[in-house]
Amino acid sequence: MLAFRLARRELRGGVRGLRIVLACLALGVAAIASVGTLREGISRGLAADGRRILGGDLEVQGGSEALPDTLRDWLRARGAAISDVITLRSMLVAPSGDRMLVELKAVDGAWPLVGQARFSPAQPVASVLGNSDGTYGAAAEALVLGRLGLHPGDRVRIGNATLTLRAQIDVEPDRVASPSIFGPRVLVSAAALPATGLLQPGAIAEHHLRIALLDGADPAALTTALRAAFPDTGWRIRGTADAAPGVAQFIDQTSLFMTLVGLTSLLVGGIGVANGVRAWLEARARSIATLRCLGASPRLVFAVCLIQVLTLSTLGVLAGLAAGAILPIVAVEFLGDVLPVPPQTGVFFAPLALAGAYGLLTAAAFALWPLGRAMRISGAALFRDAVLPAMARPPLPLLAANVALALALVALTVATSPERGFALGFCCAAAGTLLLFRVGGALLTWGAAHIRPPRRPWARLGLANLYRPGSSTPLMLVSVGLGLSTLAAVALIEGNVRGQILEQMPAQAPSFFFIDVQNDQMPAFRKLVEATPGVSDFKEVPSLRARIVAVKGVPVDRVHATPDTAWALRGDRGLTYAAAMPADTRLTAGQWWAKDYTGPPLVSFDANLAKGWGVGVGDTLRVNVLGRDLDLRIASLRDVAWRTLGINFTLVASPGLLEHAPHTHIATVRATPAAQGGLLRAVTDAFPNVSGISIAEVLQAVAALLGQIGTALAATGSLTLAAGALVLAGAVAAGQRRRVQEAVILKALGASRAQIRAAWLVEFGILGAVAGLLAAVVGTAASFGVVRYVMHAQWAFLPGTLAATVAGCVALMLAFGYAGTAAALRAKAAPLLRNE
Amino acid sequence: MDIIVTPPAPFVSVASEPALVRVRGLHLTVPASGGPVNILRGIDLDIGAGEAVGVVGPSGSGKTSLLMVLAGLERATSGSVVLAGREITGLDEDALARLRREQVGIVFQAFFLIPTMTALENVSIPLELAGVADAEDRAAASLRAVGLGHRFTHLPGQLSGGEQQRVALARAFAPRPRLLLADEPTGNLDRATGEAVMDLLFALREQAGTTLMLITHDSALAARCSRIVRLADGRVEDGRIA
Repeated sequence: MLAFRLARRELRGGVRGLRIVLACLALGVAAIASVGTLREGISRGLAADGRRILGGDLEVQGGSEALPDTLRDWLRARGAAISDVITLRSMLVAPSGDRMLVELKAVDGAWPLVGQARFSPAQPVASVLGNSDGTYGAAAEALVLGRLGLHPGDRVRIGNATLTLRAQIDVEPDRVASPSIFGPRVLVSAAALPATGLLQPGAIAEHHLRIALLDGADPAALTTALRAAFPDTGWRIRGTADAAPGVAQFIDQTSLFMTLVGLTSLLVGGIGVANGVRAWLEARARSIATLRCLGASPRLVFAVCLIQVLTLSTLGVLAGLAAGAILPIVAVEFLGDVLPVPPQTGVFFAPLALAGAYGLLTAAAFALWPLGRAMRISGAALFRDAVLPAMARPPLPLLAANVALALALVALTVATSPERGFALGFCCAAAGTLLLFRVGGALLTWGAAHIRPPRRPWARLGLANLYRPGSSTPLMLVSVGLGLSTLAAVALIEGNVRGQILEQMPAQAPSFFFIDVQNDQMPAFRKLVEATPGVSDFKEVPSLRARIVAVKGVPVDRVHATPDTAWALRGDRGLTYAAAMPADTRLTAGQWWAKDYTGPPLVSFDANLAKGWGVGVGDTLRVNVLGRDLDLRIASLRDVAWRTLGINFTLVASPGLLEHAPHTHIATVRATPAAQGGLLRAVTDAFPNVSGISIAEVLQAVAALLGQIGTALAATGSLTLAAGALVLAGAVAAGQRRRVQEAVILKALGASRAQIRAAWLVEFGILGAVAGLLAAVVGTAASFGVVRYVMHAQWAFLPGTLAATVAGCVALMLAFGYAGTAAALRAKAAPLLRNE
Repeated sequence: MDIIVTPPAPFVSVASEPALVRVRGLHLTVPASGGPVNILRGIDLDIGAGEAVGVVGPSGSGKTSLLMVLAGLERATSGSVVLAGREITGLDEDALARLRREQVGIVFQAFFLIPTMTALENVSIPLELAGVADAEDRAAASLRAVGLGHRFTHLPGQLSGGEQQRVALARAFAPRPRLLLADEPTGNLDRATGEAVMDLLFALREQAGTTLMLITHDSALAARCSRIVRLADGRVEDGRIA
């Protein structure tokens, strides 16, 4: 009680010294709480809106195989409303002859079963897509209209069919469940599809059947009955909880990344807490020594200080939580269109409680050590100048408590992360980084004290400032270490990804992918392409679509796959066949089959997916091709070089089995920039069912996406740096009184302003250079780990980016140092030098 | 201590020596929340080279402000201050710093040593700033001269008050200034220590022939100077010779 009373009295005097503690915690907690709240909002949005997102209660995916009428009859007999949706890629040709690749969605009259589609000009779906004036209608996203200069009423060609573009799509309710990846969306009637000639055997298309149940009907029971009634079909049936698995995974991974960034800024804030508490104790040391003289025990002193720090920390955490609860609501207002699903807004307890726990644990873990030193302040200290013993170690029980708190923080981080190994790696990396900067600070201090002093007095002064007793060298390095390292790592990762996609690939990549080339079209297609001037490197392979049904005999929905490979278990995968091993293939296990192999079907499989699914050479994959289940034994594993943008297939089967199945071909060519427009036009005019994917356009889209990701990464990295800057400002401010006093004494002893400025530039310049070098080391190591082992990409050393990082660190340190110097130089000497 | 304390410096007539310090019509007004405060109200004062002047007066009479203006640490509102033949009121900060480096030593009541520097480093600083080649050797000699040859590596916090003031004396005398300004140098010390420090100060001053302006409340201490100037309410009330 006495401790509370004393703490209350001291708190009454203001919290000036602890403001930095409050700000550091508030920033970190706000970041984590915002991410958690937004994630919860999106998850709830997905759950609440699952029916609309899916476009029904259930969806049956038949892959490239059309679903049978028996299924429709079976469903109708159970009172279900159904709607057919087919998605495929096609070229849309404008009256001007200009064309672009679009994601075509053909819907029946029942679409949408749930939600409402909206068009400009406003009209019902039937009016937009139906047959009137002898043509079917179509609707397209604004991008198509803008790019091709189209207006409602224009005639467009899709495949062999001419349609009237009647409207622009404003709202497509089930867009998330069937996303458009290769191009903007164009909506047509399923009845118009036959005339287009696009649905050739083996064409890359996805057939979906949306199902809306009668009120009260149980989707799970219907799913079970459906599977029993139609066994061994290979269909994928998903419900509203699984409406957007890609989105859910994206949100999970993004929020993991953002939470770790938030945690980094909170850890940086933790250093601010430690610095703030230390500075506050230094300022209060005389009061504490007085208390000790008056009979206060060390334990009472500790309790009084702890209560004050925890009170302030709680306020900081509460401020952070309030910001974390409000910011997502504001963010949704601005980001509403960017987010994949409209999130629910509200105050969600779980993410706020987690952020609060992070905040309080961080505050306690970082404050305990400096607070423990308060117990070492004796009454006799009143008679000494240096009242707070700098090197005093807190008592053992406090050290044990400190370790326990740090471990609890790690445990909380790992336990609440969807990817525990990654989270544990993050904790180790963060601890290692802090340690590296602390050791770096100690080495710098030692080095500055031991090198031969320079002749210039200002250089000597600056250098000596690095190692003098009470110097803040290690403190400042640790303060900015995590933030700068994060920024360096982010810059290097982004540079690597950008470099590989935008700089290395185009040299090797083809100019066009042509898909859906029919068997009988291939000779004419090849002739046309090879006769076009400026075109070279024609390559083609047969292409089928296959759905993974079982892995090593385990049905696909029960396969435990790593998060980065689970996507490949959903939907169709590309399947081809080849007798000889294609050029540039790199086998990592097993052997390629003999050219004249005629035995049971074998497959060469993607090594990365095999690792993620836990399969190897000799294991069996059951795939469904055109409605037939096939067991393929893995004969070899390959490194699939997706980044080359050449023809890559997850599954390459041995010859003999698939040649006679209906299939199409995929072809790639390289064309000079001048020849590209003509080639696309010639091919898609001669073969209207063939779609051409321009790699240049894909790269442009990737560049735009990378730009957005880069901005997001830089923004999140900046959050950590902002926390670091706050801590650095606190560290500079804590030493500012001493600096001002020193500046005044130096001026009184005859130092010119230029000499004082030069001394501080030396001090902060060296600090910045060392911080930059250490950040470059950590950033290089972190970027190597992420690029090589998380992204499975080639890592490149980027000296320019590293140099920019080091230069940025020096500039940052100099800016802070100069801010302090300028303030010290402005200080008037007389008031400080008057007798105290 | 290896200094032999000698009696106070012999009387030096104001008239017989050229003035090292010449102050005319010095005014210092500072802004304050209750309106401007006139601290110095027209000071006229000459201090001859080698002279020791004690400045006395009640608290608030302007003693320390006068010292600050003479040291170039406070800007006069009006009037003239000529130090070693140079008008200092119009000089910029760097020129004033150079002037202090070359001509003036200051000793404060609160010592104002830099707490993170050792005794030797504190004494070296003005020499280093002046670009003296053997700064460290001269600083060491200066510290030995004040009896602190065994305290080179000690930080101010590890020294007693008397020792800290001796370091401050060593620092002030090391560059061999022509004018020493001392502001209540014994104010933070007990009587015996204060006397010892003052004996040392006067001895060093005599050895170096340094002109001294000593601000003090202690009339006995002031009496050791060759002349006493009494300030009251920002004006020179009396400038008798001791």
